[in-house]
Parts: sequence; structure tokens; C-alpha cells
Amino acid sequence: MHMERPERFDVLPPAPLWSNPIVLDDFEFLTVDPSADPALQAEIRALLAKCGLDYEDGIDVFVICRPQGRLIACVGLEGNIVKCAAIEPDCRGESLSLKLLGEVVHLAVERGHSHLFLYTAPENQTFFRGCGFYPLVEVPNYVSLMENTPVGIRSYCNKLKTERKEGATIGAIVMNANPFTWGHQYLVAEAAKACDWLHVFVVAEDASRISYRDRYRLVELGIRGIDRVTLHHGSQYMVSRATFPAYFFKEKGMVGHCCTAVDLLLFRNFIAPALGVTHRYVGTEPFCPTTRKYNEDMKYWLQAAETGTPRVTVIEIPRTAVMGSPVSASEVRRLLDARDFDRIEALVPPATLELLYEKYRTVCFPPA
Amino acid sequence: MKIVKEALAGTLESSDLMVKVAPASDGTLDIVINSEVIRQFGAQIEKVVRDTLGKLDVTEGLVVIEDKGALDCAICARLQTAVLRGAECQDLDWSVLS
Amino acid sequence: MTLRRSMLFLPGSNAAMLSTAFVYKPDSIMFDLEDAVSLREKDAARLLVFHALQLPVYRDIETVVRINQLSTPFGPKDLEAAVRGGADVIRLPKTDSAEDVHQLEAEVERIERASGREFGSTKLMAAIESASGVVNALSIAKSSPRLIGIALAGFDYVMDMQTERGDGTELFYARCAVLHAARAAGIDAFDVVYSDVNNEEGFLKEVDLIKRMGFNGKSLINPRQIELLHNAYAPTEEEVDYARRVIAAAEQAERQGLGVIALNGKMIDAPIVNHAKRVLSRAQASGTRK
Repeated sequence: MHMERPERFDVLPPAPLWSNPIVLDDFEFLTVDPSADPALQAEIRALLAKCGLDYEDGIDVFVICRPQGRLIACVGLEGNIVKCAAIEPDCRGESLSLKLLGEVVHLAVERGHSHLFLYTAPENQTFFRGCGFYPLVEVPNYVSLMENTPVGIRSYCNKLKTERKEGATIGAIVMNANPFTWGHQYLVAEAAKACDWLHVFVVAEDASRISYRDRYRLVELGIRGIDRVTLHHGSQYMVSRATFPAYFFKEKGMVGHCCTAVDLLLFRNFIAPALGVTHRYVGTEPFCPTTRKYNEDMKYWLQAAETGTPRVTVIEIPRTAVMGSPVSASEVRRLLDARDFDRIEALVPPATLELLYEKYRTVCFPPA
Repeated sequence: MKIVKEALAGTLESSDLMVKVAPASDGTLDIVINSEVIRQFGAQIEKVVRDTLGKLDVTEGLVVIEDKGALDCAICARLQTAVLRGAECQDLDWSVLS
Repeated sequence: MTLRRSMLFLPGSNAAMLSTAFVYKPDSIMFDLEDAVSLREKDAARLLVFHALQLPVYRDIETVVRINQLSTPFGPKDLEAAVRGGADVIRLPKTDSAEDVHQLEAEVERIERASGREFGSTKLMAAIESASGVVNALSIAKSSPRLIGIALAGFDYVMDMQTERGDGTELFYARCAVLHAARAAGIDAFDVVYSDVNNEEGFLKEVDLIKRMGFNGKSLINPRQIELLHNAYAPTEEEVDYARRVIAAAEQAERQGLGVIALNGKMIDAPIVNHAKRVLSRAQASGTRK
């Protein structure tokens, strides 16, 4: 029925295939949540340490392999990000590592994540390439981001290309708009004036206090009337948990060098070329150190760094001020905590105020 | 058969393959094949994949194949498994599976 | 004469093993859909086995498929895949009575008719894994003309007996009962797996025991055990010599139309001729014992 490939039969399968009894699979894998089991957590921590890795809090679930009670392999899953993959040095071999990765990919699908991302040292790319992960960007000598599909970024860029506009100056803004303020409105209006066309993206990750749906809707209303602007939904490839994990944990006050680089290189190498973006616009950042750092990094990775893709000029637009103080979304969130809607009113367009009042008047926020 | 959800079948081990299927985003059938033996067997693998999908009457969706040098029979079986899982199909029609 | 000394177990979900196991040349290959396959992979294993069965390389080797019990959600689908895929033999796990075999037989008949497979071409074997099964061994062994053998499966059996695997004492009665039932019914008898693959000495000791008892062979979980087993079952030079002379005498008697076979002035009857044939087929398969 099918044509077969006799060449394969010339050699016996490699010995490891048969090195163990095969009634049951060679290795049994368990799915565990070590956050509730300190002893197990310590075991995983020790294995990771042996492999030069740190235990990360916030991992939803681990796949482990523990034949005869000895932990020899683990890999963690946080949402759609594969983390903390480690194998006991004396147990390393193609078979165990491939099984381990296969297990975690199956587990992720069961948990509703088929599109996975993975951070690894650049020298491990080849190994993970053999596990069905494809390199997205590499920060030389530092880290590589990979995804488990060969068509992910490509098909995303193909979709973006349909929105491409011709012109000498094509601008882009990526905003979280948490929530949309007069500051955002001013930034979009100023950028649009300077460009032949402007592309505005709303960060899609639903990790903010205000839902993505609401944030997107408020941007849509807020920029109405500004010409030559396309509003885009955000994606996994842009300020998401996958491309920029630290951004969503900024309470920790720490933004790694590599984290912003990965996100910015994705923009420069894939998104900007797809849309023909020549300029990226940002507001100056007087308050938030994370965002300020991001703006600084932007100048390096989009503009200065040699990457083999066209440079994107970064333009910082000074923030608009209301009554002498710059308008910022973080200030609005602070006022929201205090239910100070009178002062919020001055900083945001009417639609934002209405939504905040409707939805958050009675909500009790957990302390940040 | 219509793929209604993302589904996975197979492993990354030698002589096997991993198949991922996903619903179509734009009504087309996209097949992406990666193989360690793509140069010698790429065309043949694609033929097996297209024949198998044809018999199952899969006309749209995204099919990604990560081949580790599997035999045709394994390619066929893994692909059928992924499609049946992705179509949430429990009843097996053996005439389209052989 | 079909030799069934070695029956190699393969997890049905392992594509690599299914595609390459024939190179080890066991007498039979058993594709497992039952205990070696996790619940998540039952559907995948079924389709892999269905297609592997049709590989040309398995045309010259007896293929056995161990299905899940028919009372599970998997069993009936496994059976469809195995019969339609062309398995030579269906192995039924956890057979407690002749009724279990009758139920399987009826399903096999239905699938053969529906699929156009030659009626009666699917053979059966029953694995006995409980005290009830051992006690009912004879009625099980005689339950169907399709039955080619019965096998003792040790793991579940010793649990049922409230004991554990040891030096063989725990299997003493079961081995005798299964073997006698098989011989009385004129079918084959297979011994349990030996799971400590690194203990060659222990394996050979057990093989020696079951061969002397009269078992046709043994289920195996690692290809390394195949050659050891075949060698242990291989006859000595003297046995082959004697068998050749028995067969020559039988052929001569047949040519001359004699009703009685004689060798060196002694009368030889049918069981001796059959034994000689078995010795020669084992020698043909694996040579003489090393």
C-alpha cells in the first residue's frame, strides 16, 4: 500500500532503544506541582543547580522523571513558556531528553497551549531545533528565544504585510494603554503628524488590571479622528509574557538586559520589515523605571545594534502635561486605587473615565 | 473531516514523528514538513501526508510535521491520530484509515 | 510445524520499535495495546499497530496483537484494528473462562465478515492471569478451534494468589495446569515473561525449567533474550542425528506402505516422529546448541 524505504533496515536501531525492559516505557514521567511540596521543590532545585539553572517561582507545572526514586530529569511549564529543562548529567542521551520535551509539549496541549516558547542559551539551539523548536531571535552570547512552530512568526508577518502602507516615513507605536490617557492620545496624534502612515499596536497580554478587550476598545475610541493610522491587535510576538517576561513582573524592579533585547529584536527583525516601519515613537518616561529602561534599550536594539535588518529610528515625544505634571497611565492607576475619579477625569478621555467608573468603582484591588 | 481544535500526536524520537494539526485560519490547507531526511524523502513524505489527508477528507487546516526518519506507515498512523484528535472524532471508519 | 519459542512484546505506541523489531527474528512478535500503552496513547497505538501489521517485513513473521479486554472502551476498537490490519493472532488478556473466548470469537467472526478477511484466518490465544483462569484452563484451551495456544501471565496471577514472583515456586501449580490443559487440547503453551533483563543466569535457569516441563516457549520483553532462548531450545548434535534417523525411517515406511515404523529393530510411534520433526525444525531455525 505504501512505498517503504528499505534503506532504513540496513542498520540495527541504536543500542539505547533496547537497553531497558520494554514492557513498560523506559521512563515514566510524572506531572507535578512542586509549589505545594517543599521536599520535591528542593529536589528539583538541586537538579537545576547541577545544570547551572535557577528554580523559578511561578511555574504552573513540572514534568519529572524519577526512576527508582531518583530525580533525573525535569522541565517546567509556565503558561505557554517552557522553562527549567534539566537532565542529570550522567543520564543524558538523546532518548531521555527527546522524551522529556515530547512529554511537556503533550502536557501543554492538554492544558490548552499548543504554541510554545522557550528561552535557552544560544549554544543549545541545535538541540532544541531537534525537538521541534525554531529560533526566533538570538541575543549573541546571552539567550535565544525559540517557538515550537516553523510557521508562527512567518504567518504572523504575512498577515501584517496585508496592512502595509507605502511611504517614506512609516511609524509604529506599541502601547499597553493601561488605561488609555490623554497622554496616549497626544502621542498618537503627534506621531501621525510626522508620518506618512502610523501603525498602533495594543499589547494583547491579559496581565494588566484592565482587560485587553477594554484597553483595545478605549484606544480605538481615543484615536478616532486621527488620520492615516491603523490600529492593530497585539500578539505573542510583542511585549507578551513570552517575549518580555520581566515586563509583567515589574514590581520586582528588575528588567533584564536580555528581556528587552528579545522583544525589541523581534520587532526590528520581523514586525518592522513586514510593515515597512521606519520610525518607532514612544513617550518620554518620567515615572516608571521599567518603561524608562525599555525606552533606552529601544534606542540601542532598534537603532544602534548591527543585526542585518534595517534600522528603525526611535523618536521620543515629550509627554503632554496637565496642570504642570506629565500624564501617565501609572498615575491614573494610582488614583484608581484611591478611587479619586475627580483627578482621573483630568487625565483621561471621557470614554476611559466612564469605563473606569463603571467597572472599577466598587472593585477592591489587591495590594500591588 | 474538519479540524476543530489544535491537536498533537507522536514523539520526537528517532524513527517517529510529531504531528501538529490546527484549524484553518483562512480556509486553506497548509502543510509544513520538516525532516532529517527531507532531501531524500521530502517528496515521498509529502505524498503520504497528502494521500492520508485526502482519504480523511481534510481540506483545510494547518498540519506541521516534525519527522525523525519515520517509516511511511508511522507517518500515516501519527497523522491520522492527530486529525482524529483534532476533529474530536471517536468513531473510526476503517475504510478511510487503511 | 509453527515454532513459537519466542514471543517478543513491543509497546504498540513506540513507532521506532514497531518499525525495526523484525530484525531480531523472534518466532512471533506481539504488539501490545494493553498494559504497555498509557491511557493517553491508546488511540495512537491502535493506529500505529494497524499500519505496522501491514508492513511487508511482517509477512514472514507471526504477528500477535494483545488487545485490551473487550469490556473496556478500548478493546472493541483494538480488535477491529488488529483483525483488519491482518494480525495472525489476537491475544486476549485476563481470560477467566471459556465464555471470554466465545465472546471474542463472535466479535472476530463479525469483523472478518464485515472486512472481507478470509473467514477463520484470525487465530486466537488466551492469556491466563488469575486463579479462576488457571482452574478453568482446560475449558479455556478447548473453547475454540481458532485457539492456537494459551499463555500464563505471571504478574497479575501472583497478585491474585496473594504472593509475588520468586524462584518459581509461586507458579508451580499454574504452570502445570496451563501446560496440561494446552496439551490435552492439542494447542501450544507459553510461559511468563522474565523481567530482569540483566540477569542472564536467572533467565537461562527459568528457560531450562520450562523447556524441560514442555512449554513451547516464552514471552520476552527484550530482544537480547531471543538468542539465549533459541539456543537453549536448540537440540544437540546427537538429538538431531537421532531425529534424522527417525524421519528417514518414517519416510521409508511410508514409501514401502508399511503401517509400522522401525528403527534399529525397535518400533517407533507417532509421538516420537512428531518430536523428531520438532527437533529438526528447531535445528533448522537456530542450529544446534552452543
